[in-house]
Amino acid sequence: MLSVCDAYVTFNPGTPLAVPALRGVDLDIEAGEFVTVIGTNGAGKSTLLSAVAGDVRLDRGGIYIDGHDVTAWPTEQRAAMIGRVFQEPRAGTCSSLTVEENLALAASRGGRRGLRTALGRGSQRRRLADQVARLGMGLEDRLGALAGTLSGGQRQALSLLMATLLPMKILILDEHTAALDPGAAATVLDLSAEITGEQRLTTLMVTHSMRNSLDFGTRTIMMNAGRILLDIHGDKRKDYDVPDLLDLFKKTTGSAVEDDQLVLA
Amino acid sequence: MFRQKLAACAAAALLTMTGLPGLDGPNDLNARAGEMTNVAITYIVDHPAIDAARKGVVDELAEAGYKEGETLTLHVQSAQGSMPTQLQIAKKFAGMRPDLLVAISTPSAQALQSAADGKIPIVFSAVTDPVGSKLVKSMEAPGGNITGTSDRQPFGPTLKLIKQLVPKAKKLGVIYNAGEANSVAQVEALKAALADYGLELEESTASQTAMVGDAALSLAGRADVILIPTDSTVVAAIESVVNVGRKAKVPVFASDTDSVKRGALAALGFDYYKLGRLTGKMAVRILKGESPAEIPVGVLDTQDLYLNKTSAAAMGVEVPGDLLETATKVIE
Amino acid sequence: MSALAISGALEAGLLFSLVALGVYLSFRVLNFPDLTVDGSFPLGAAATAVAIVNGMNPFLATVVGMFAGGAAGLVSGILNVRFRILNLLAGILTMVALYSINLRVMGRPNISLYGETTIFTPFETLLDFGIWTNCVVLLVIALAMKFLVDWFLSTQIGLALRASGENPVMARAQSVGNARMTMIGITLSNALVGLAGSLFAQSQGVADVSMGIGTIVTGLAALIIGETLLGSIKVAWATLGCLIGAVLYRFFIAAALNAGFLGIEAQDLNLVTAVVVAVAVVLSQARRNSRFRLWPALRRAFAAPQPQKG
Repeated sequence: MLSVCDAYVTFNPGTPLAVPALRGVDLDIEAGEFVTVIGTNGAGKSTLLSAVAGDVRLDRGGIYIDGHDVTAWPTEQRAAMIGRVFQEPRAGTCSSLTVEENLALAASRGGRRGLRTALGRGSQRRRLADQVARLGMGLEDRLGALAGTLSGGQRQALSLLMATLLPMKILILDEHTAALDPGAAATVLDLSAEITGEQRLTTLMVTHSMRNSLDFGTRTIMMNAGRILLDIHGDKRKDYDVPDLLDLFKKTTGSAVEDDQLVLA
Repeated sequence: MFRQKLAACAAAALLTMTGLPGLDGPNDLNARAGEMTNVAITYIVDHPAIDAARKGVVDELAEAGYKEGETLTLHVQSAQGSMPTQLQIAKKFAGMRPDLLVAISTPSAQALQSAADGKIPIVFSAVTDPVGSKLVKSMEAPGGNITGTSDRQPFGPTLKLIKQLVPKAKKLGVIYNAGEANSVAQVEALKAALADYGLELEESTASQTAMVGDAALSLAGRADVILIPTDSTVVAAIESVVNVGRKAKVPVFASDTDSVKRGALAALGFDYYKLGRLTGKMAVRILKGESPAEIPVGVLDTQDLYLNKTSAAAMGVEVPGDLLETATKVIE
Repeated sequence: MSALAISGALEAGLLFSLVALGVYLSFRVLNFPDLTVDGSFPLGAAATAVAIVNGMNPFLATVVGMFAGGAAGLVSGILNVRFRILNLLAGILTMVALYSINLRVMGRPNISLYGETTIFTPFETLLDFGIWTNCVVLLVIALAMKFLVDWFLSTQIGLALRASGENPVMARAQSVGNARMTMIGITLSNALVGLAGSLFAQSQGVADVSMGIGTIVTGLAALIIGETLLGSIKVAWATLGCLIGAVLYRFFIAAALNAGFLGIEAQDLNLVTAVVVAVAVVLSQARRNSRFRLWPALRRAFAAPQPQKG
């Protein structure tokens, strides 16, 4: 479904501030796989997601989605095949649009937008309201409220629904619970698992928590210094625990994980 | 909450419009003021030439017995360079129904013409092309309830003066703002007059005061002599033209006498104060009952010679003694 | 104030409400501080004036003025998104260029439409409201444009436009082409301004190359006054605010023109404008923040910068 081939990305190339962010990443993801991505700060996990989404262009290599070479596609063109939830709750929704308008915008993703009324007819509006009700956050009664008035958790749930509203190829979750309080984070994570499981979505989720990276999804990859360090999938993944990941990390890199958040979260 | 605010604002606006003492303009001047004559003057922007013309109008009215505060109520308003404000002033003045409207500058005259709709007599001043601006049907017989004075001046005498002071001159440079209707009309007139004096035109334009210096520099190699029309943009920065003229030894002539005081070599005076006096004379005729439709558009036929001796020396021009004697004013 | 003076303020206000609607689209919806308007306003006037003088039907000529304004906006949009010129600068470049273009379009700096048939002419006999005819026609046009903008911003494209202006990252993730939205939005914005210029020339009877001076300031003032009164979040209220703000602003000017009112005279007009806008901004901040205190904010605003210690 998704192939990243020999991907290289350098930020600020040719300057003293040049930072190699991806250094030859190869990744193949089958349809229906839920891949969690973990790594220390600066490991390149967010860059990888941005490269897949189109925000970051590759210096070298290619990206293929469902057989299309999308390497040269701009973000908005890839968006027809990609649903995304951002880390920052404000980033994924529009504060000055209502809940319903945000959803309507997502409902026309990938299609040709014309001069039809965005909110659609009664039946369409009811269908959207039903979808919102399934989030279980009471948002169905606040369809007319501005997204800017929602809590962080509600906004991320709304983002998640917007990302998964239409059939698509890949769902990208970029540390989408990192900015939430623990309660809201758990709710949104469970919701993510539920929706992806139901629709058998091909998912790429970056997380800061080793625990979550093993508890959720079907495959875990660990990145370090712009490369994929570990790729754990299949039956053996069940046997892994956080200390095993830490050991593996130390064995491969020769140094211990020093990112407390990564270990403790 | 905003409803209250809205209501408060609407109330304030209504008060503004209708009732507050001192805030309310006179409604119908004729009805209220009795024997007082009412004249309303508007102009597009505050500018020395426009101010001089306005003063001329007021002085002439006073001399004819229309003294401000005694027998005359004068209303004066500047549009501060804004066309929408000029529209509002025009409507406000027309709504006051004064005995006479006075407009100084082309856009002001056009705004008053539109607002008064023929119902109130209008006298304009400092309009260069009254026919082209559709203010009057012809210079001789305006035809509508509007007439006035034009600041178009015959270029013949000025060109004669230039040939007299700079006999070798072949190329006449002119700097103007192509965005000013008055200036464009002057340059057209200048083109028509040049051939008789064996001169060729070199044009340079400046749309802002800050660009005048560069425009003058660009003429330094091309022109033997520079003539500045009555262009408010260029006249505002006449010093930068004078500078170039002194450095490059290119004589600079102006079309208004004030510029000579500021360093131009010479000008055959266009005195806006005198134009204002002429306008005032026409105003008096209309106030006494004549119809503007039959009063021809006035032009000044007398021109005063102003000379600047310092600039003449700096620009390499020798001024003959007889010319110095005929000059109205010589600046040392 | 006489009825004619009131009609004049109303007329100018309604004309500039179209500018305010345009400025709302660019400054607020698109978040694009577009200064093209000082050029597209006279362009609309110039195009319409030339068309009318050459015998074109005034309604068609008005559409020509509107399209001319839109084209000017498109140029600014292209300069910004295709050539990556900063939005502020893109607008300034177009505005400066338009000065020369307007001169070319008209062939001279000033075209009088006095006595020509304009779109107001047929209504003089049809409506017969005397001095209020122009106001009525302009009110209908302004309301029509307000509802058109409301409707447009509720369509799929309109929603995408709003998202693109507020949150381009999110918009892109929802397959919205931000570049395209910028071009569409700035084109529509300047089409409204071009329409305003066209109608201004026809109601005033003159198109002048320098008539665009201060258009943006007036438009912004109207927009900000409207936002202060009605709020800026709901589209329908914001656009209504443009209408009310523009008319109120012109009444403030009319009040200032009545010499004697608080000692303000015509020469203080620009100061009045600045004060009106500043007060409106302060008030709108007060709306947003209920804990806002006027005096501390003013003191902060006017306080000299404190010297750094150390």
